[in-house]
Amino acid sequence: MFQNRAEAIALVLPAAIFAGAVFLVPVVILLSEGFRTGDSWTLQAYVDFFSQSLNQAVFLRTLKLAAMVTAVAAVIGYAAAFAIVNLPPKGKGRITGLVVLPLMISPVARTYAWIVILGRTGIVNKALVSVGLSDEPIRFLFTETAVFIGLLQLFLPLMIISLISALENMPRDAVPAARVLGANWLQVFTKVILPLTKEGLVIGGTLVFTGSMTAYITPAILGGSKVLMLETLLYQRVTMANDFVSASVIALILIVMAFAANLLLKRLATARNKR
Amino acid sequence: MSDSRFLSLEKLTLSYGKNVAVPEMDLDIGKGELVALLGPSGCGKTTTMRAIAGLMEPSSGAIVLDGVNITRVPANKRPVGLVFQSYALFPHLNVYENVAFGLKLMGVRGAELDTRVNDGLKTVGLSNFASRKPAELSGGQQQRVSLARSMVMEPKVLLLDEPLSNLDARLRLEMRTELQRVQKESGVTMIFVTHDQVEALAMADRIIVMLDGKIEQIGTPEEIYNNPVSDFVADFVGFENVFERVDDKIKTANGDIAINGTIDPATKGLAWRPSMVTLGEGPFEGTVRGTSFAGGTREYLLDTPLGQIKAECAASLPAHDFGAVLNFDLPVAKAAQLARTGNL
Repeated sequence: MFQNRAEAIALVLPAAIFAGAVFLVPVVILLSEGFRTGDSWTLQAYVDFFSQSLNQAVFLRTLKLAAMVTAVAAVIGYAAAFAIVNLPPKGKGRITGLVVLPLMISPVARTYAWIVILGRTGIVNKALVSVGLSDEPIRFLFTETAVFIGLLQLFLPLMIISLISALENMPRDAVPAARVLGANWLQVFTKVILPLTKEGLVIGGTLVFTGSMTAYITPAILGGSKVLMLETLLYQRVTMANDFVSASVIALILIVMAFAANLLLKRLATARNKR
Repeated sequence: MSDSRFLSLEKLTLSYGKNVAVPEMDLDIGKGELVALLGPSGCGKTTTMRAIAGLMEPSSGAIVLDGVNITRVPANKRPVGLVFQSYALFPHLNVYENVAFGLKLMGVRGAELDTRVNDGLKTVGLSNFASRKPAELSGGQQQRVSLARSMVMEPKVLLLDEPLSNLDARLRLEMRTELQRVQKESGVTMIFVTHDQVEALAMADRIIVMLDGKIEQIGTPEEIYNNPVSDFVADFVGFENVFERVDDKIKTANGDIAINGTIDPATKGLAWRPSMVTLGEGPFEGTVRGTSFAGGTREYLLDTPLGQIKAECAASLPAHDFGAVLNFDLPVAKAAQLARTGNL
């Protein structure tokens, strides 16, 4: 398209300079903080970070919740996406619109809505008490369950959308063909649908996992300081202790986890494919 | 169960929601028959086939195969094979794995699996393609893999949805012979769906012509070709000049017009192929409005008092120009006598 590379480079340069100045440089500076003690380069900050039991717990909890949200989103997402894909075109458009709708609403509003539902005087507790299933309100807020529910509803649409597009790209008759060849529904899923939609699952899984790991508002509101996750811990270290070293360590952990999750999912997908 | 009622549809009704696609169809198909379900798109032929395969649940009626009522048997437990119009090969599996797919699910393993898959590939001439992916095959080759994948399961009935429609003209001829050969060699009962009368006439032992979910006519290719029972079938198999009968006249846009010859009073309509129209002599006159050269013959579209008439004569005769006025006749003796009209 271009006569020479110089033209192409010239066009990209402004964006590159901007991104470099406002994103790359600060990130590199921040991350390098974590490897410095005085003038020497060291991993001491990481050793210190992981030697504290609170940090270990937060790290494992973040990993666990993100993994659980991803797994449950995948299961619910496949069921929903499969149903949506098989709807007649008109209904498909409408339902897909409804799936996307929450993404257009501020996550702050969405998360506060959960307080209305799960709080001491929320809908769920009122119902439980009035029906007599519980004598007093149950504490849902500031538990891992609350954070899990909040993250799941926050990121489920991304999984469903990824799987819808993956399912739509499957050859139209692959499922009926497998049925006629003797596959029960479980076999249809494991031998045909899963291998043919694994790219969508990897994309959706990476989005949901990374999103859950790095979400701030949801764990902050629904988990508070009782259910710290890496992101809320990072914020706490900076605002309460002015501890930019820990912040740098946490930031790099989050970045590494995101890449690791993507690699792992891709590896899982290709391993199944080789068979 | 007798051999002539190997597969029976008994008052089979198929619906999409409130829309009845096929109302109360009765049909018997014999063991080892090669049957064509022929009809225009939307006539219910593909729906009927999907129901036989178990991909669609009938709203009422029964499907009986080899003495067993399979109406409520799920698709994966029916001894029925289906070759999809899109071939529906699994793109993530190679040719060998595609053909082995159903056998593995049946629990066939090891040497037996290998033998049966290789035999299947050999039957369709694709032994050298075992490790290819479907994307690396031509349409005709994919079709053969799809055929082999179904055949290795040794189904009691093999269904094919528009098996030739995605192939180019040359491959189509080749595949026609191939399908007939496989069917004769294996003796499998084969039903294929098509909207192409030429395909149905060339391949089938018996043709079932469908319209609006109902069976219009069942017969051998000769019967369908020579003696269509209705105006719809006549038109579908190439009788391009179809008229209703009124007493000893034919009904046209310009009123009822008498023609030469006596018409059987039981006949509801008359139909002529272009080749059955006498051109150059006769009581009627027509103006040439179009000509097309078809190798051995030349076809004329004529504006006549009877409406538009398609006629045909040997291409070796001198051609007539646009606007030329020709005499012609519709001889009753040559016409197909239709027992039913009103569907055109």
